[in-house]
Amino acid sequence: MHTIWSRINNISALLSSCMMGLFAAIALSSLAQQFFQAPLDPSSVSITSLKVAPGKGKQSKVDHALVQFELDANLTPLFNWNTKQLFVYLDAEYTNSKGVKNSVVIWDRIVRSKSSAKFHVEARQKYAFRDVTGFRDSAATYTLRYNLMPHVGALVYGVAGSTNNSIPFPPLAKNNV
Amino acid sequence: MFSRELKALRRLDPRQFLLQALNYAGGMATTLMFWHALCLATNCESPVVVVLSGSMEPAFYRGDLIFLTNPASERYHIGDITVYKVPSQDIPIVHRVLETHDFFDSGVDQQLLLTKGDNNPVDDTQLYGGLEYLERKHIVGKVRGFLPYIGYVTIAMNDFPRLKYALLGGLGLLGLLQRE
Repeated sequence: MHTIWSRINNISALLSSCMMGLFAAIALSSLAQQFFQAPLDPSSVSITSLKVAPGKGKQSKVDHALVQFELDANLTPLFNWNTKQLFVYLDAEYTNSKGVKNSVVIWDRIVRSKSSAKFHVEARQKYAFRDVTGFRDSAATYTLRYNLMPHVGALVYGVAGSTNNSIPFPPLAKNNV
Repeated sequence: MFSRELKALRRLDPRQFLLQALNYAGGMATTLMFWHALCLATNCESPVVVVLSGSMEPAFYRGDLIFLTNPASERYHIGDITVYKVPSQDIPIVHRVLETHDFFDSGVDQQLLLTKGDNNPVDDTQLYGGLEYLERKHIVGKVRGFLPYIGYVTIAMNDFPRLKYALLGGLGLLGLLQRE
């Protein structure tokens, strides 16, 4: 009972129990805080320019959409003691004429501090928006979503804002873009 | 320091030894049962995974422990962090879904996915070994929660195999020789 092995055993068992209790308390308290929080102010998402460029064979076999957008968001209420970072992404969702439901992320950003959680962005897309299943004659809704990654615990997903109406894809641009 | 253990070793008779071994085996079997029950409940072949690469920094660092589920009826959405295995390789990769294309035609529910690591400049098409998109069957599960740094022990054991043998050997000896 009083050997060094049993003492090390007892101390390490107590340490691991306390650490598990602490992690559980942090994770559950931050989830509870989000549950009882007032909902976020909706962010504004607007598309300033949308063009469809033709696929040029060797480089890009399919048509591409070229999007420029403007975002205005305030995600500061999401930062609490258990927030490690926010992964913010802008996606385009559309159901094409063949019934295929598509979602494509066109822009993302990692927000690591409360001060950078309030931002105004005017940019063009980061990732290629390829016409894999056909977006002729369909319209897309652009939504700004976030993924809250905690220091400890469960990941939380949410919607920050959206162009609530869908924006149709224009016909193919005649000249090379 | 080990005089007590050496005396116990000399005094050990076969029946006691077998009883200890039986207790040991019983403990291992219970642990294995709990693990398999967890795998069944989450519908996932390995619901607890250690992050092996830095391609999801600053979200996940090497050595973080992540918890997965793989509900069969649920579709994956963009922004989900999934663990997938390409059929040609056996290494699980933890990346975020960038594109999904859901096909509902003719009763076949097919979902094509494209992934990318947060810390990588380009998407994962080059990792797919010839495929242009991942299918649902390649995905092991979706990340629900995580614990930081706990899994570093397994990475250390992989990088230094002698540490693994030393730990396992030591634990085995202690388990067999201790009376309590």
